[in-house]
Amino acid sequence: MDYEELIINMGPQHPSTHGVLYLELKLDGEIVVDCRPNIGYLHRSIEKIAENRTFVQFMPFTDRLDYLASMNNNLGFCLTMEKLLQIEAPARAQYLRVIMAELNRVASHLFAVSTFAQDLGAYATPLFYALRDREKIVQIFDQICGQRLTYNYMRIGGVSADIPVGVDQLIRDFIIYERQMMAEYDDLLTNNVIFRARSKMIGVLSKESAIDHGVTGPNLRASGFKWDLRKDEPYLMYDQFDFNVPVGKNGDSWDRYNVRMLEIMESLKIIEQALNGLPEGDPVAKINKAYRPTGEIYVRTENPRGELGFYVVGDGNPFPYRLKIRAPSFSNLSVLTSLIRGLNISDAVCVLGSLDVVMGEIDR
Amino acid sequence: MLKEIYQILIGFLSILKGLGVTWKNIFRKPVTMEYPLDKPVMTAKHRGLVDLIPDKCIACLQCSKICPTAALVVSGIMNPETKKRAPDKFVYNTELCCFCGLCEEICPTSALFMNKCYEIACYQHADLTPIDLLRSNKYQHLTSPRTRERKK
Repeated sequence: MDYEELIINMGPQHPSTHGVLYLELKLDGEIVVDCRPNIGYLHRSIEKIAENRTFVQFMPFTDRLDYLASMNNNLGFCLTMEKLLQIEAPARAQYLRVIMAELNRVASHLFAVSTFAQDLGAYATPLFYALRDREKIVQIFDQICGQRLTYNYMRIGGVSADIPVGVDQLIRDFIIYERQMMAEYDDLLTNNVIFRARSKMIGVLSKESAIDHGVTGPNLRASGFKWDLRKDEPYLMYDQFDFNVPVGKNGDSWDRYNVRMLEIMESLKIIEQALNGLPEGDPVAKINKAYRPTGEIYVRTENPRGELGFYVVGDGNPFPYRLKIRAPSFSNLSVLTSLIRGLNISDAVCVLGSLDVVMGEIDR
Repeated sequence: MLKEIYQILIGFLSILKGLGVTWKNIFRKPVTMEYPLDKPVMTAKHRGLVDLIPDKCIACLQCSKICPTAALVVSGIMNPETKKRAPDKFVYNTELCCFCGLCEEICPTSALFMNKCYEIACYQHADLTPIDLLRSNKYQHLTSPRTRERKK
C-alpha cells in the first residue's frame, strides 16, 4: 500500500517535552518512523559567561544549569574548584553538602516520576501530590539559604551558612512524612496494573546501547548496569554511609521510573545517617578568596540525572581560561531517537518522560 | 475471554485502590493559601530586593565588584571632616539582579542587606531600571497598592 509520511512538529512549547525541546517526528499513521530532537532554545552561553566571571561569581550561574537540582550543580562546581586549588572543606560542611544534595535529589526525582505519570495520562493528581511534598523540601531550603529555586548555597571551601536552629528537626520530620507518602505513591502508581501495562517494555534501552551512548544516572542503572559515582568513585563522605544502588532489569520505561522511586528511599536513608553523624565545627574553611589557579581538572559527580562533569582550565587569572560542562541530560537525550523508532506517538511521550531530561542543562 | 475479564477486573480494582488514596487526601488539611488575601511569612534569610542603610556604608565597592551581573553601580567620596568614606552614588538595577546574595555576604559593615520584599513585578519598565538606594522612598512604587494606570 502506498503511504505518505507525515511530519509533526512536537514542541518547543509542548507540555510533555519538559521545557523547550522541539521534536521533529516523522510519522507513518501513528507509528514514529524517525525523530530529530532540535535543541538550543534555552541556550544562554553559560560556558562563555564563565570565562568572563571570577570563580566566586560563577556560582549563581551553576544554579541555572539543571534548575531542578541546583544544589547538586553547586556541589559539582565546588568539588572541581576544591580539587584544582587543593583545599578541603571542613567535615561539617561536607555533611551539610551531603544532606542538601540528597534532599535535592529527592525533590528532583519526585518531580521526575510525577511528570512521567502525567505524561502517561494520570493527569495532575500525582503531580500535585509530588509538588506538595517537594514544597516541604523547598521550604527547608528557603530557611537554610533564603531562596526556593536558585539556592547558591555552596561555596568553594564550604557552604555559605550553617543550618538554623530547628531546621534539622524539620528535615527529620520530612523523612518520616515522605516515607508514608512513598507508600501512597506505590498505591497510586507503582502497584497500578494499568500504569504498569502502559510503561512496561516500552522504550527498552539495552545495557550495551546505554554505555555506547554515554547514558548515566538512573537511566543507566535501569538498564541493569550498576554504576553510581557515590559508590564507585566516592566523593565527600559517601563511602561512610550505608545505602544500596537500585538496579533495573529490562531497561524499559517502567524500570526507569522504578529505579527513581527506589532511589528516593535510599536518599532518605543517607539524609538520616548524615543528620545523625553531623559533626560540630565551622561550616566554611578559612582560605584566601583571591584564587588564581593554574592547570586543568575534570571532576564528575552524581547528579539526579547522571554524571555531571566540570572541566576547568586555569591560566593564573582570577577567571577560568575555559570551562566545559558535561551535562548528563545531553547524553541521555541522544538515545531518544533509537528508542522511539517504531513506537506509537503516545509511547514516544512516555519514553521522553521516563528519560527525564532538563533543557536548561542540555542547552546551557 | 476469561483472561480478558480477569484483566479488566484487576485493572478496575487497582483504580479503586488509587481512588482510595485520592479520597484520603480530600480529608487532609489544604496546603494552598489564598494568596492576595493571606500572604506567606518570609523566612529570616529570604533574599528579596537589595536594600541599603546609607549611614553604615563605607563605599568599599566590594559589592559592586563581586556582583556577577553588574547590577550595582557604586562610587564613594572621602568626607573631609570625619575622614570617612561615604557613598555619593549607589544605583541598583533590579532588571539585572539575579538575587544570588553575594553582595549581602561580602558587605563588611552589613550596610547592604536583602529585604523581605517579594512582590517585585511592575506595570512599567521604568520602575525596574536603576533605583537610587540613597533615596529614602526607594521602593515606594513597589509597596503601594496596585492601582497604577496602565500606560497606553
